[in-house]
Amino acid sequence: MSPLIVFLVVFPLAVSGVLLAVTKGAIRNAIVVVACGVVAAGAVVTVFTFGNGDAVFFGLPGGLTPGHAILVMEAMIAIFIVVVSLQNRRVLAPIMALAQLGIALYLDLGGHLPDPDPQRLFWFDRLTMVMVLVIGIIGPLICIHALGYMRDYQRSNPQIGGRRTSFFFLLFLFLASMFGLVVSNDLPMLHVFWEITTLCSFLLIGYTRTKETVGYAFDALNMNLLGGLGFSVAILLLAGQPDGLDLAKLTAGPAAAALLPAIALISLAGITKSAQMPFSSWLLGAMYAPSPTSALLHSSTMVKAGVFLLLRLSPAMAGSAVGTLVAFVGLLTFLFVSLVAVTEQNTKKVLAYSTIGSLGLIVGCAGIGTPELVWVGVMIVIFHAVAKALLFLVVGTLENRLYTKDMENFDTLLSRMPRVSVLALTGIAGMFIAPFGIVVAKWTAIRAFLDVPGFAGAAFLIIMAFGSSLTIFYWGKLLIKVLSMRSIEPYERSVEARVTRYEWFAEVVLAVGVIGIAAGLGLISEHVVGPYALTAFSAAPVVFLHLDPAMVVVMLVAVLFLPALALWSSRRSGYDQADFYTSGRSANAGHLMGAALGGTRTVTLRNYYLDGVIDGALVFRAGTLVCGVVLATAGLVALVVAR
Amino acid sequence: MNPIVWGFVFVVVAPLFGGLLAGVDRIVSARMQGRVGPPLLQPFYDVGKLFQKEARQVNPIVEPLLLGHLGFMAAAGAMAVGGTDLIFTAFVFALAALCLVLAAGSVNSPYSFAGAERELVVLLASEPFFILMLAAICKVTGESTFGGVLASPVLVALQLPGVVLAFLFVATIKLRKSPFDISTSHHPHQELVSGLTSDMSGRLLAYVELAHWYESALLCAFVVLFFNWSVPLGLLAFAIAYGLEVLVDNSTSRAKWQLVLRSTWVVTLLLTGGNVLALFLVGR
Repeated sequence: MSPLIVFLVVFPLAVSGVLLAVTKGAIRNAIVVVACGVVAAGAVVTVFTFGNGDAVFFGLPGGLTPGHAILVMEAMIAIFIVVVSLQNRRVLAPIMALAQLGIALYLDLGGHLPDPDPQRLFWFDRLTMVMVLVIGIIGPLICIHALGYMRDYQRSNPQIGGRRTSFFFLLFLFLASMFGLVVSNDLPMLHVFWEITTLCSFLLIGYTRTKETVGYAFDALNMNLLGGLGFSVAILLLAGQPDGLDLAKLTAGPAAAALLPAIALISLAGITKSAQMPFSSWLLGAMYAPSPTSALLHSSTMVKAGVFLLLRLSPAMAGSAVGTLVAFVGLLTFLFVSLVAVTEQNTKKVLAYSTIGSLGLIVGCAGIGTPELVWVGVMIVIFHAVAKALLFLVVGTLENRLYTKDMENFDTLLSRMPRVSVLALTGIAGMFIAPFGIVVAKWTAIRAFLDVPGFAGAAFLIIMAFGSSLTIFYWGKLLIKVLSMRSIEPYERSVEARVTRYEWFAEVVLAVGVIGIAAGLGLISEHVVGPYALTAFSAAPVVFLHLDPAMVVVMLVAVLFLPALALWSSRRSGYDQADFYTSGRSANAGHLMGAALGGTRTVTLRNYYLDGVIDGALVFRAGTLVCGVVLATAGLVALVVAR
Repeated sequence: MNPIVWGFVFVVVAPLFGGLLAGVDRIVSARMQGRVGPPLLQPFYDVGKLFQKEARQVNPIVEPLLLGHLGFMAAAGAMAVGGTDLIFTAFVFALAALCLVLAAGSVNSPYSFAGAERELVVLLASEPFFILMLAAICKVTGESTFGGVLASPVLVALQLPGVVLAFLFVATIKLRKSPFDISTSHHPHQELVSGLTSDMSGRLLAYVELAHWYESALLCAFVVLFFNWSVPLGLLAFAIAYGLEVLVDNSTSRAKWQLVLRSTWVVTLLLTGGNVLALFLVGR
């Protein structure tokens, strides 16, 4: 086990170092493709050698411990942040970075850091297994997609110039640190990987180095450093406790009152990293980065690190006021961002809000902390990772071919780019249409909320009812646009032909993955997620998936319905259907209509964005405020309880 | 009898029920307007005729989407009555409604598109209510299926007065009655022509009509859930509620979508949300 884990971290790290030196495109492509294959194979082999699924703990080969390496890494990170920030005249980030370094110095040089058990540095269980597969399969697919995407992107953004080598360096560094993060059992070690992902996302968001993206990059850095600082303080608090820095022992059951402040601080880190309100704005800023960055941040890495940590903490938070308040932060975020999403026209931003909302559901489930809800949380992690990666990659492809991210400009996509449409519809179906996956998760969550007593239970139900209806609205609008058809000119056909094979490969594999996971729902629940939820809470066996035959049939039809429909219509040759009804004011077969005072006008059909009913900007600010207050309350409650 | 059999019974009987209801509706409406009205079975003649007519296909995917609408609607009802988890059927119900929206929206024509967008708005307005309603029914009875609720000793309507009142309000949307028929405009001489069905003809329109009959029957089944002590009592309550809807339909003019959305949400939040909150605070 141990050599494989080391391989998973060290190999992408080595590849990233090599890629930094390679400047020739063809060689880089070859290295990336091979390395992606090796990483994916490594992840799969690791999971298969994992055996019967019970948690295993192990250390580095030869019984090494990280020792002062942690301090050295923390120092390097802090120095890098200070230098970059001062170059860009920012002060907040260096202060937080230095504060973290100060804590690390105090712990290490002051001898306050207990030596970790050399045989318990790493922790591998079913949740780790899920995360390793998500990172190790979806991550490389995004890297492969980026080979095609970045070629076009750099053509249209020539100012990037010589920095293009750094892009793939960062992608692989990101993967390496994510692997390290999910297998670490020693909290200081986990914190180092945590900070490296913060750094990678900072550099990836600011990749184009325009004034705008640098601003967003620093937003992301500041918010994530705040979480990282909270994590550092938590380590400081836990260092004095017996076994306090052993994540598995810390989260074996409900935390003692004295530990709650530390638990609250670590969940603060999880909430910042998973972009929950009041820290949602950094993930929206990340939308201005190249699409592979968005796909990576949103699906398999970064934000998933946040919810991973919260799911880990779930047994420790369960039943405490801190846990309930964390759940409120997540579910309120889900509600608020869903409200904002219905007013948003930029497709990438709609996807971003949808991501934050899905993560909010996971945070809500983790905060309440029952086996059923942790089951829901892990299920959403899996479905969301695959479907959202696919959607971001498809939108990236569309953006590079149609030069737009505006939802309204994706109309008649089914006629113009039929094969890309099939992929897009598969992704959307995976996200929400199919009662598989997220809908099953939502349904299970509602059932579980019925058993949450008092005000919290009723509030969770109401939030869920409204939030889930809002998702129908914004996905429905996008679907209407994609599904509409018209007769197209021959030159429009050629647009799809320019999609690169790298993009096709990644998107098709992910689309197959969406359907495969939907079909394997029962198996995944029975062998992976269900047992995990039970062992995490030491609970008696329960059935998580209450499916009867009618449900299975309806679900099977539903998951395949739209993609199959699109596939069928894209294979029909030509488009010679009847004209639509225009009250006798049709001027010709195109989208022209007779105007009121003579002449003709082109028909423009624009979706509803609920103007005048919902003010997106206002709702976003309100959500930030409300969730900020709830989060602050959680901190206060933790302090009061600990006294 | 096995609940699954009831599911199949629903598939067969629901369209008959919905069609007869539409016939009664037309006669009652006509009497309110001082007319005699059509024969009771007129809706069946109409749908029969629609199947014989040519279907003008504006977009080839409209027909499969409408079949999806009909199929999922029938499935939602059959699953609800046939012993599937009630909360789950709310999602199938929403999926059915979404198929209709997509069918109309994908036509890409002015009237259909406006109708589709408005249907999406009313879906957004009504969906939270249905999820909360079914969750509340499961909460008070401790059951999760239709048969379980019917066998429960708790009279649901007594525990959920707010939800029952809100149902009267929200059902206006699902029954496509004025002032909330913003997406189809069943009444003539309105700016939307016939809303989301503008570009549907022949059998395509027949699917929509059939699905609506299933929808009416499903709503009736929901009313029976409220009066779970006795099915005849539930049917009587549905008849009274439907009579009220027809009266409102004939005495109001259509509202703007903004008003529909705002008012439905407020009603859902205050009446249903308040009722649910009371349930959780007082305890079962």
